[in-house]
Parts: sequence; C-alpha cells; structure tokens
Amino acid sequence: MKNTRTFIFSLRNDAIGLALIVAVWGVAAIFYPPYIIPSPLTVLTEIPTYLPDHFAYHLGITLYRTVIGFGAAYIIGTLLGILAFTKKWVKPLNSLMLALQVMPGVILGVIFLLMFGIGSATPILLVACLTLPTMAINTVNGLARKDQVLEEYLVSLKAKPAEIARYIYLPALVPVLESNLSLGMSMAVKVVVLGEFIGTQDGLGYLLNNARIFFNMKEVFFYLVILLLFTLVFQAIQSAIFSIFFKKYYFAAEKA
Amino acid sequence: MTAQFMIRVDQLNKSFGSHRVIDDLSFSLAEGERTALFAPSGAGKTTLIRILTGVEKADSGRFTLMDAEPVTLFQEPRLFPFLTVEENIFLPFKIKGKNVTNEVQRRYERWLEVCELSDSRRYYPYQLSGGMRQKTALVRGLLGEPRLLMMDEPFQSISAGSKQNIIAHIRQTLPHSSILFVTHIAEEIPMLAQTVLLFKNTLLSCPERVSAADLQKEISISNSLFITNENNRTSALNVTNKEIL
Repeated sequence: MKNTRTFIFSLRNDAIGLALIVAVWGVAAIFYPPYIIPSPLTVLTEIPTYLPDHFAYHLGITLYRTVIGFGAAYIIGTLLGILAFTKKWVKPLNSLMLALQVMPGVILGVIFLLMFGIGSATPILLVACLTLPTMAINTVNGLARKDQVLEEYLVSLKAKPAEIARYIYLPALVPVLESNLSLGMSMAVKVVVLGEFIGTQDGLGYLLNNARIFFNMKEVFFYLVILLLFTLVFQAIQSAIFSIFFKKYYFAAEKA
Repeated sequence: MTAQFMIRVDQLNKSFGSHRVIDDLSFSLAEGERTALFAPSGAGKTTLIRILTGVEKADSGRFTLMDAEPVTLFQEPRLFPFLTVEENIFLPFKIKGKNVTNEVQRRYERWLEVCELSDSRRYYPYQLSGGMRQKTALVRGLLGEPRLLMMDEPFQSISAGSKQNIIAHIRQTLPHSSILFVTHIAEEIPMLAQTVLLFKNTLLSCPERVSAADLQKEISISNSLFITNENNRTSALNVTNKEIL
C-alpha cells in the first residue's frame, strides 16, 4: 500500500511536468498555424487519420532497442567506473570517455550503418556508445565522495572487502545509480531516435523521420508525446523503486 | 601463556612534510594496564592512535599489538548515518560474524541505561545530539568487552555526570582490559587511568611515565604547560597557544 502510494506520488510529479509542457504547447499553438504547431487537441482527435499500421510493433522495437542499448551502457559504464576507481585508472578512463563523448552521433551512426547494415545494431550500438561515458564518469565521481572516515573505521575492524563495499561503496553509489538511470534514459530515448533515423526501417525514429520529411506535424507531435510519456513513466517507476529499496540512504544523507 | 605487553612501540617516527609529530617514540602498555597519553593539542596523539589502528603508516620504527582484535574509539563518533543506534552498536558483531548472545543482549541493555540511550535505540544519528552520538560510539566499542582498547578523546561532548557514570561502568565491566587513553583534559585521567605517559612538548617524544595520582603535582610544577580554562578544567596546551588563548 505504502509502495503504491510512493509510485503514485512519483507519477503525480511527472504528470505535473507533462501538464506544463502540454500547456506551453497549447499556448504556442494559438500563435502558429496548425501545419507548424498543431494544438494538443487536434493531435489527439486526429490520431485515427495518421496512426500507421503496426504502430505497436514500431513502439515495441524502439523500446527494445532503448532498453538493450542503455541497459548495456548502464551495466558496463557502472562496472568500468568501479574498476577505474578501485584500480586508480581514473585519469585514463576520463580521457577515453571524453573522447567518446565528443564523437558526433551522426558520424558514429553512419559508421555503424556501414559496418552492420540496416537493422537494430545501429541504434543499439549508438545508444550504448553515447550514454556509456556519462555512466562511467558519474560512477567514478560518485565513488570519490565515499565516506573516508567510516571506511577507516571499518578498516580498524578488519572488515572484509565485501563489507566495505556494502557499507561504504554502496551508499556512495546509490544516488549515482539513480541519477545515471534518470539522465541516461532521457539521453537514450533521444539517441535511439537518431539511430533509427540513420539505420532502420522501423521504430518510432523511423516513423518520426518519415512524418518530418512530409511535414506531417500532427504525427510528429504525436510521436514526441509518446517518447515523452515513455520517459516520464520510466522516471516514475525508477524513482519509486529507489525510494522503496534505497530510502534509508537518501533519508539519512538529506538529514545529516 | 599470557603476554607481558599488550602494546609495544619502538622508535616510531612520523612527519607530515617538514612537520614532525612523532619523534623516536618508544613505550609499552602492560596487560591489564590503563594508561593515559597526556599531551598538548597538536602533539600527534591522534596520529599515534591512527598508526596503531593501521589506518596511517609510520615513517619508521615498529609497533606490536598483542591482541588480534583491538578496539579503537576515534575522536569523532564515526556512526553510519543510514543505520539506527542499535544497528550501529551491533555492527562490529555483524562484521566479525559474532553471535549476539543473551549475555551480550543483557550487557547492551545495561550500557543503554548507563548512557541514557534506552529510548533512542531506533533513532538515526542525525536525530541525536553530539553527546548521544559519542555515547553510541562508546557503547559500540565497549560492548564486545575488548582485551585491548585504544581511545582518542572519547568523552568529548559528554556531560560531566554522564562521563562519571560511563567511566565507572568501564572500570566495572572491563577490569582486565588494557586501555590506552588519549586526552588533553587532566581531570579525566585519574577517573580512568592508573598511569600517565606525559609529553611536555608539542611532539610525541620521550614520554615521562607518572602515576595518575602524581599528575596533579606535575601540573602544578609545569605551569607554563598546563592552564585551567574557563570551564575550570585543566588542559594541556603549548606555551604559544597559552598566550593566544
């Protein structure tokens, strides 16, 4: 019951954000003709006229690519960050990640397209490569803020590495894991669209690109709302999960 | 067979850059002995405890601890903010894989009474005053009844009344433990220690070993080293600090 309330509370915050965006969009629609900015109501009521066949398939494949690409970046980036911090490879890792970060997504996407052809590989690899540096660098920075004094206390007790990880590293990592999830997923949604622009013939990015080419702005706005909704629901779920399972770390840190 | 010494320190040296804090220090602590280390502020007392605990390395010299599980009470409480008072206190048992027996539970309840923490066991550190945090750290260190205990200014921010009760309880429950007790408050020494390692310089070197009872006499002779502060407590201070204060 308490967990349901936490989830609803997170969802409510996101819904307020969404309502604000829709309100701004509605106001903008007053000042521009519908072929530039259609009103939210027009987009909603005319869904049957532009919704493509197999929309659920396109939506599903985009979500699949986002989750696989970002999931890999999240896991590998976090592990790389932990490894670099514990092995003192922070500077080389930072240089490598910064190099990866400045690489233009379009160029990288074209390279992947030439290497792997049309299909899911391009958007998945693009998402993984462009979100991984942020995950790794944030992890290293989070671990650098671990509590040295408490670690010394555990060392004085001759605690095993697993216990130091549990009582020192995990509390330092929890806020980073959450912010990585939140920040990374928004980035991943943007990047997967770019990847599907470049290297696929299905998915929301592909549909969005087609709608954009034909200036079908109602369809364009519809897909944007879908992407926004996906991100907001994901954020609400993630926020609820963290506040249920890791609440004590936030609670104590906020009050300390 | 019992060990003659619980701590033996031989020609220990430690500097931070050009600032030397421990200079050729040698001393020992016998089994069951309770010794205070009394030195001016900034003389390297905490550094010595950190070296003996293994969290700081000495530049040269060596030391031996004749106990595999010594307990250190640091100057700050070092409580885990995400654990309650009770969870913090039992953490060493968890780390060392020791069972919390009925006997330990009974001792725990008694310690909570002595430290007036009985009603605060479910509180998190941020909900406690400075004194209560310090008491929690004391209970955490003392509950396991260690054979060797190193304490670095452990009674900071604890009121005089509570301090007396806690020290009396330490003497009652740990009569055979060896205690090295760092302080710069002279009044605390006769309450807990039998002997004193007295350092008159702002450097840990060549201590004078006196009995706790004789410390008062030493203090009255070395007027330039010890002053009575506004709380009517005698503290060890170096001469230059005295002028500033």
